[in-house]
Amino acid sequence: MAAPVVGPRPGWSRRAQYSLFFGFLAAVAGLIVGLFMLVLSLVAPSSYAAVRGAALDVTSPITGALSEVGATASGLVGGAGDYWDAASQNGKLKRERAALRRHLIRAQAILQENRQLKAALNLREHSQESVAAGRIVGSSFESPRRFAVLSVGRSDGVEPGMPVRTADGLVGRVVEAGRIASRVLLVSDRSNIVPARILRGGIPVISTGRGDGTVDIRPLEVGRNPFRRGDIIITSGTGGLYPPLVPIARVVRHDDDGALGLPIADPSQASFAIVERPFEPEALAVAAGSELQR
Amino acid sequence: MVRAALQTQGRLNRGPRPGVMVIPAASVVAMSALAILPVVTRIGAWPDFGFLMLLAWRLLRADAWPAWWAAPLGFVNDLLTGAPIGLSVTLWTAVMLAMDLVDRRTQWRDYWIEWALAAALILAAEALEWKVAAWSGARVPFLHMLPSIVISILAFPLFAFMASRLDRWRLGQ
Repeated sequence: MAAPVVGPRPGWSRRAQYSLFFGFLAAVAGLIVGLFMLVLSLVAPSSYAAVRGAALDVTSPITGALSEVGATASGLVGGAGDYWDAASQNGKLKRERAALRRHLIRAQAILQENRQLKAALNLREHSQESVAAGRIVGSSFESPRRFAVLSVGRSDGVEPGMPVRTADGLVGRVVEAGRIASRVLLVSDRSNIVPARILRGGIPVISTGRGDGTVDIRPLEVGRNPFRRGDIIITSGTGGLYPPLVPIARVVRHDDDGALGLPIADPSQASFAIVERPFEPEALAVAAGSELQR
Repeated sequence: MVRAALQTQGRLNRGPRPGVMVIPAASVVAMSALAILPVVTRIGAWPDFGFLMLLAWRLLRADAWPAWWAAPLGFVNDLLTGAPIGLSVTLWTAVMLAMDLVDRRTQWRDYWIEWALAAALILAAEALEWKVAAWSGARVPFLHMLPSIVISILAFPLFAFMASRLDRWRLGQ
């Protein structure tokens, strides 16, 4: 290969020398401004809320439209695949449905009993109403952080700090909200810590993301490892941000004193995500405060 | 026949395309904009397309754009990828300045040296991104960055090829 093009050689021209020098000064100034912006976004991320929200609003419609195209294409392929071996699939599904119906009836009985018991105890029931429902259209696929882009924003009532879930389980919480789109911190992000418990036995645990699509689950009390493979981890509602009894993850492997879990709600598979109010409304203010330290 | 000879489709009369000065920068922005593709993944191991394109252009030629353009280009990249604002501004400007130094120090470069240089800069960039993520509360092990680094380094020749083809096209060669 030839020798590299070593920039515009200024030669003897005073004007060219000056323009090169001022270009260098401008680059150094750009570096300093960049450092300042970086420090500001680390110390006070909320100071960029407006500009980042606006950027989300501009880009998310494109992402949304493209994801429609992708979903249609993959739906055609998947739909064709479903016809393959349909007869035996049909038989299997019928057997599963019969089993599920038996479970459902049992669950309904328990629900009714639960309601009667709560009424007897005069427990106040938190009504868990959803704020908005949107589609997960994108994610941060270029960085170690785990964010997703949701197609609803402030105009739908979404505020930073609100929990996001699918029908299957917890997705995460809103960290930035534009007018028509918002950014969600997924449960698999390292900085997302969810108070939880094991569905079997109700042992309190803490779920932390690992940044690679799995979560790290540790018991609050040190001692015997309480996890079993296949255990379902649900939110406990402690802290008031996430509503209780939402499935988070399934335990797939033991760690030294905790376990490794796979999130139950897969953002790439879920078609819709629901934004809910924080379980305790006061938690939103606390969450906004903790976003500052994020 | 005479009429055909007068037409300007041959190798004569071919100059730079209109907008020859902004085509490199526009290609970097276009690559940054790939971040708005509807890709929902569990792991973020994809390369930073905008950064690779910037690197490819800077290694190809020093006068693709004035060095300070890296700052606004980085700002656009931060907005599009959702990275902490200022990360790419700092990183990209630092890369431009570092490459100015490298240009002064090296007598010649071949393909392999260029790739090694790109690999070193990609490693530094991913390390900074990892460190910034740790400062903002997401302290992942550096091992998790390894797939991303390897994929970026392997993808670099593709971007170098794109930059060189684009360079020839914009200059009308």
